[in-house]
Amino acid sequence: MATGVDCGEGASARQHVFLVPEYLKDASKKMKSGLMFVKLVNPCSGEGAIYLFNVCLPQLFEIKVFKEKNHSWFINESVQSGGLLHFATPMDPLFLLLHYLIKADREGKFQPLEQVVMDDMFPNCILLLKLPELEKLLRHVTEEKVNPEIDKKKYYKYSKEKTLKWLEKKVNQTMAALKTNNVNVGARVQSTAFFSGDPVSSDKEEDYICYAHGLISDYIPKELSDDLSKYLKLPEPPASVPNPPSKKVKLSDEPVEAKEDYTKFNTKDLKTVKKNSKMTAAQKALAKVDKSGMKSIDSFFGAKHVKKIGKI
Amino acid sequence: MESSDGEAVDKRRVHLRPVTLRDPALILLHLMPCEVLVNRPAPVGLFFTPAIRQGPDGLEVSFRGRSLRGEEVVVPPGLVGYVMTEEKGEVLLGKQDFSEGLEDDEQEERELVEPPEALERDFDRFIGATASFSSFTLWGLETIPGPDAKVRGALTWPSLAAAIHAQVPED
Repeated sequence: MATGVDCGEGASARQHVFLVPEYLKDASKKMKSGLMFVKLVNPCSGEGAIYLFNVCLPQLFEIKVFKEKNHSWFINESVQSGGLLHFATPMDPLFLLLHYLIKADREGKFQPLEQVVMDDMFPNCILLLKLPELEKLLRHVTEEKVNPEIDKKKYYKYSKEKTLKWLEKKVNQTMAALKTNNVNVGARVQSTAFFSGDPVSSDKEEDYICYAHGLISDYIPKELSDDLSKYLKLPEPPASVPNPPSKKVKLSDEPVEAKEDYTKFNTKDLKTVKKNSKMTAAQKALAKVDKSGMKSIDSFFGAKHVKKIGKI
Repeated sequence: MESSDGEAVDKRRVHLRPVTLRDPALILLHLMPCEVLVNRPAPVGLFFTPAIRQGPDGLEVSFRGRSLRGEEVVVPPGLVGYVMTEEKGEVLLGKQDFSEGLEDDEQEERELVEPPEALERDFDRFIGATASFSSFTLWGLETIPGPDAKVRGALTWPSLAAAIHAQVPED
């Protein structure tokens, strides 16, 4: 992206516009340090993504970047190109732990957590072990064993059955939020009506569940997303559409956080950024159910379908 | 952006100084409908801000001879806006630097400080909030960006994210 032209004369440090939870401001009053941006794995793509970690609480925040073509900021008496808006929102660490549990499950045995959460690529993953109530969290997705004779240590093993149940609950609570959060659904209907001219149909239960499944699928590997789709008995994806996916199914952009990395420390990923080739089952399902309005999370932030605004 | 340092790269952490989040100055922000390809000081208060007028439908101004229409967008409840800037210059290595990072007074709060040995200080950098905001002005070319503007969609993300990431009840 040609946004970072900060080498010209008079150039100054890059400024990042952030929205963060208000309680982080209050928490900061009691802290001297312990807030940091780190690179951890993106549990869906397996690539790197930036997270904010509060070591004092401890708590994990996901960073999403809003990016749209042809924007820039005026920040007080300065100009900042790109017009990026960063969001830090609390993240359920179980999605990240799940990534490691699934990986470790290939060995097919019970293991202590420190052996599971290991990563040469993203060594900061050890921070996850600091999170409170890990045992409680892990009960949702693992079988556990204690060996009282040797040590009191817990040993964990990934359980697909439990995970699917857990994910179903996630889908349900996301659906509930979609329904109560009129802004979201409303916005979707509006923009659908706006761009396609289709008559606005009232939202069906199926739309909600597919939408929610699509949102959750951005946090789990594709195989699990497919399994979840079957588990929820979502409509079968249309018989494999040969590439190129039509414009309508261009629902997900590349991971934003890996691409536009303001912290500049995941440089390697720039070259390996995934092509837009694979669609999750959710996206396929969405493509079938509703052709215009449905989006994955990234579409909130991506720069793909932009209203044409001429250069000024 | 060049790749360097091999795997050491991924150990890097960018520390956000909590002290800077406490009370940074409130500032004015404008989200412009055009790309200005530099990051640098600009006399916004000389040319842009004084030209803003309250029109019949929203704010009016012009930039580079083009007419803009805008309106105030308030940061969603429960959120606070910050402008963050990375600190310039080399970060010194070693323990003494870490305690310097604590800056002021109150050493008794040290128990909240991250244990120094956990830091990969060689690669660490620091970022801090330089300003805060509770709203910004969203500008569109000729017309006010409508309710379908993408940035508005993005602003609803935190409430949806809360639902996705909320803990689920156990059976």
